[in-house]
Amino acid sequence: MKSYKTNPFTYEVIKDALIATGEEMFIALAKTSMSPIVYEVLDYACGLTNHKGELVTQGNGVTGFIGMLSFMVKDTIEKHGDTIKEGDIFIINDPYKGGGSHLNDVGLVMPIFYKGQLISFVANKAHWTDVGGKDPGSMSTNSTEIYQEGLQFACLRLFSEGEVNDPLLKFIETNVRHPEISIGDLWAQVASLRTGEKRLKELCEKYESEVIIESMERFLDQGERLALKEIEKLPKGTFELSDLIDDDGITDDQINIQIKITITDNEFICDFTGTDTQVQGPINSSYTGLVSSVRTIFLAITNPAQDINDGAFRPLTVIAEKGSVVNTSSPAPTSMYWESMLYGSELIWKSLAPYLPDKLTAGHLMSVCTVIMGGKHPDKDGDFLIVEPSVGGWGAGNNQDGDTGQFCILDGETFNVPVEIAETTYGVIIDEYSMRTDGAGAGKHRGGPGVIRSYRALTDNQFFTASYGHHKLNVWGSAGGMDGSNNEFLIEKADGTVDGPFGKYNQYKLNKGDKVVLKTATGGGYGDPKERSKKDVENDILNGYITVEQANRFYGYSR
Amino acid sequence: MRVATDIGGTFTDLVAVDDNGKIIVGKSDTTPNKFEKGIFNVIEQANIDLKDIQMFFHGTTVVINTLTEKTGVKTGLITTKGFRDVLEIARGNRPDLFNLKYKKPEPIVERHLRKEISERLDYKGEVISPLNTDELNEILTYFKEYNVKAIAVSLLHSYKNDEHEKQVLNYIRTNYPEFSVTISSELSKEWREYERTSTAAFNAYVKPIAHDYLTNLEQNLIDKSSCKKNYIMQSNGGTSTFEIAKKTPINMIESGPVAGIFGASILGEVIDENNLIVLDIGGTTAKCSLVENGNVKISTNYHMEKTERYAGYPLKVPVVDIIEIGNGGGSIAWIDDSGSIKVGPKSAGADPGPIAYGRGGNKPTTTDANILLGRLALRNFETSTSLEEIKNKFEISLGKQLNTKTDDLAMGIVKIANSNMLNALKLISVRKGYDPRDFTLVAIGGGGPMHSQALARELGIKKVVIPSTSSVFASWGMLMSDIRHDYSQTLLLPARGISYKEVNSVYDEIIRKAEETLNTEGVEASDVVITKSLDMRYEGQEHTVEIHVPYENIDENNIEEIIKNFHENHDRMYSYTLPENELEIVNIKIQALGKLEKPKMIETDTEEGTALKEEREVFYEESGWIHVSVYDKNKLKVEESVTGPAIIEEQSTSIILHDGDVLQKDKYGNLVIEIGGQ
Repeated sequence: MKSYKTNPFTYEVIKDALIATGEEMFIALAKTSMSPIVYEVLDYACGLTNHKGELVTQGNGVTGFIGMLSFMVKDTIEKHGDTIKEGDIFIINDPYKGGGSHLNDVGLVMPIFYKGQLISFVANKAHWTDVGGKDPGSMSTNSTEIYQEGLQFACLRLFSEGEVNDPLLKFIETNVRHPEISIGDLWAQVASLRTGEKRLKELCEKYESEVIIESMERFLDQGERLALKEIEKLPKGTFELSDLIDDDGITDDQINIQIKITITDNEFICDFTGTDTQVQGPINSSYTGLVSSVRTIFLAITNPAQDINDGAFRPLTVIAEKGSVVNTSSPAPTSMYWESMLYGSELIWKSLAPYLPDKLTAGHLMSVCTVIMGGKHPDKDGDFLIVEPSVGGWGAGNNQDGDTGQFCILDGETFNVPVEIAETTYGVIIDEYSMRTDGAGAGKHRGGPGVIRSYRALTDNQFFTASYGHHKLNVWGSAGGMDGSNNEFLIEKADGTVDGPFGKYNQYKLNKGDKVVLKTATGGGYGDPKERSKKDVENDILNGYITVEQANRFYGYSR
Repeated sequence: MRVATDIGGTFTDLVAVDDNGKIIVGKSDTTPNKFEKGIFNVIEQANIDLKDIQMFFHGTTVVINTLTEKTGVKTGLITTKGFRDVLEIARGNRPDLFNLKYKKPEPIVERHLRKEISERLDYKGEVISPLNTDELNEILTYFKEYNVKAIAVSLLHSYKNDEHEKQVLNYIRTNYPEFSVTISSELSKEWREYERTSTAAFNAYVKPIAHDYLTNLEQNLIDKSSCKKNYIMQSNGGTSTFEIAKKTPINMIESGPVAGIFGASILGEVIDENNLIVLDIGGTTAKCSLVENGNVKISTNYHMEKTERYAGYPLKVPVVDIIEIGNGGGSIAWIDDSGSIKVGPKSAGADPGPIAYGRGGNKPTTTDANILLGRLALRNFETSTSLEEIKNKFEISLGKQLNTKTDDLAMGIVKIANSNMLNALKLISVRKGYDPRDFTLVAIGGGGPMHSQALARELGIKKVVIPSTSSVFASWGMLMSDIRHDYSQTLLLPARGISYKEVNSVYDEIIRKAEETLNTEGVEASDVVITKSLDMRYEGQEHTVEIHVPYENIDENNIEEIIKNFHENHDRMYSYTLPENELEIVNIKIQALGKLEKPKMIETDTEEGTALKEEREVFYEESGWIHVSVYDKNKLKVEESVTGPAIIEEQSTSIILHDGDVLQKDKYGNLVIEIGGQ
């Protein structure tokens, strides 16, 4: 084993302080943000890396950003190298490299110097409500080029040695909708970085810089050791699987995605070679998006409780062909990137579920189920804009029924918007927020029901856009459990006509009294439904999770 | 004579003050199935004549235990049509990010007992569809059939207009008086339907049990003593009468720990220190809280059972802001899978306890480390364990693996324990923009004084106070408390350019309600103290900052003062302001105190004899083993000072003075330590 100079107790204290710094940066950003997508959905991440850009600790709201920060920092080092000065802050949202996802996710990177020596970087990445482009919210289900999706920041200096780059700020201000929100969030991000800077400098003040640098290295080594220990316990060999993504939002064609997983004693290799090439519509994923998705399930498999740093990912390799739908290149649109990115987790999840029943459940809703809706508030000046993910059902496991009303795997400490707040802020009426008890996902353990939420417009000329992936196929059951259901939405117009169901729609026009009904998938079941105890089945009937008819048909129930 | 009793999991504590200010202390076993028995036992054991009791204060864990052990009554829920699943959908968050088997908190009400009625208000509180009480009959019949005992009613936007909830309440009371009913708007007038519904459901769930408990206790008190002034400790650091507590028992959820924090604020008044950080270290956990300008911090963001990896259940009731971490005297030191050394959150508890207790404990704890370092004397423990035994067990569990000497290992454990506590102390101070150097640290609980000086040094705090009643401080705090009720009403208005008439009239209405409540509790109008505040934010933000309103009414003139104050506080908490942005008033709040007469404080007695007990070897991080003087706390004379390095011993704990610390006993028996001297 490697030996370290710092004693184990001092190291422990420094490690705690580093983790606390990541958390503090995270909280600072949420508390000062102007947009619900940040402070309720927590669609952002903050962290710090060592001087080489390896992630040391990250405060997470959602899993989907795990590992993107280090790519951002590494790109900054590659682009600006020796010209990086104390007080610089870089702005970056490039989806084709540098830790990008879609343009809305804007990253900031700041070097930390102590007595002239580069010690570390602090970085964060937050979903801006708008970055310009053709549609409000900068996300579309029908964009065909990145240029339609807003501003691209290719790792530019936002601050130069502490001085803000005013022309750049003005340029952003004039090119985004709701600039007070986006610029407000930018300042919240800056405040968060400065909090991190302050804490790191205090640490350097107290201990030698060398001690801090060594402690970061040691923390990474520990992460690696833990991951290797867990890999030892996994089944060895190769596992192959392919699946179909609904469509790209432009044509109706399904898209092939495939994986070959190779697990050895000390490696976990995920090869997506053979996956279809990038598509016309905006569901293309960046390579870092794919990597984050793979890392999420890798952590779920190896050690869900550990402190996360890049060390844990040293045994992990992710291969994807450049120009494929999961490693896209310019100028492919990416605003709905998670519709392909999610399959990075999904294919591994599904491949290994039979081998790891203590960790992996049956399939869950499998889409962020994003809703974007806007228009005039009936009582207030100015337009409202809703941008939010939706909750749905999770799959059952070997010892539990699936949960209801949870966000997908790439979200996390994400909160839905309370009905009372939504109605006040957006001036819509929500007629229903309830469980979708469709009886799908039958099993010895039952899948968690999906959720129904509706929005009724109270003014004319509103628009509604949504991307509800996994619309064409039902989510999967495991170990003999039945499949769950799908995600879909429909429009009930004021005149009584119904349009849909749809999986994706861009800018549907709603007038006063028109209602959108959103339905998310019920999770897959686990095990043969016939094995579910009579008592549990009767309880499910009593509580309305299933009907008597479903009890008879799926569970072989008779009174 | 006034008496405070506090029922804990193991012991029932008593603190009483007689008319001359003399303090009496008692302790007896808690009697789980008949709590009042333990209460009368402890009164008897303390030699208190029941007839002498003029005021009785009581804190109890009956509510929190009922909730966490899920032993409440069968409860039904009535919601607005379309929303019966509100408790099950909850907020959708998954704090255990990478655990695919995460299970969210299970709803306290089964789905078939969650019923909907036709009615609807809009966000302004205006009626869109009227309430249809005809539907209630069927619902209530169903509830009866399933043996439901209590009902919670939570309708959308009831925080804005509680008329429909009240109509449901009246209907049930009139037609089905056998049900115990809770409506959400009587507990919280803040928006967010899941949180409010959860609060109402848990209040309903525990109400019949709390009701029986309190009624029974009150009856016993009235029968046995002539005491009519009986009060219950609430989570907001104040008390209420038994009658009020029976209606809203959920307000008692954290009644134990908060009393200590409140006690510190009273102590602060006595010793003229307004800004305090309170640190309470027990066997299993350490708790800390901050008192600014004599005010204990209250919030309604409480989550029962919440951890880093579990969402817990929200209860929107006023609770003193306390951070609690799994780090106490009994916390176990261990090595995790990555080879890192950790202290806590697992604790050896009271049984088997630390190795030193000699009751079969064999895992190193913080207490054992303090013994090995000479800070605690093994002879003060009633034990047959030897130092050698402790050393051996340290060696076996940790020393070999870490390849360190026992001294360094013990010091390392204390260091990590301190680091954990330091992070908690920073959470309530530095992270909220407070400079700890402006605060005095009050150390309570068995472990408080042992760690407080090192922690104060790290934080730059100059003064530490160890109260004379440190070991029973929570009960002492109760004796000092006032009747207190907090109210909050979500309004959502722009801060500028409005007619302030609405705001002022809502204030007036809440104040009237508070005064009425206090009046029913026997408080004279002249003893009522109302403090007003606002939750404000920049338009578009979510999180609010609480700003005090020291004015009779809000008007065009003083609003600018309030706004200025907001910017300053925002700057302190988040280190920036947005002077150009519009502001919003989110909630208006009041704190209503019914002042109770306070007992006298008397000067301390000193035991005869010299305080110097012995000299012994003690390990300090900076200097290693050194020879220091050890003093007996009870024999220290008033104003006698001791300069560190030194140890002051009590029965169960030690006060560690580091190099240059100067300790002095004040006339009330409190120990005041200047860190690094003055």
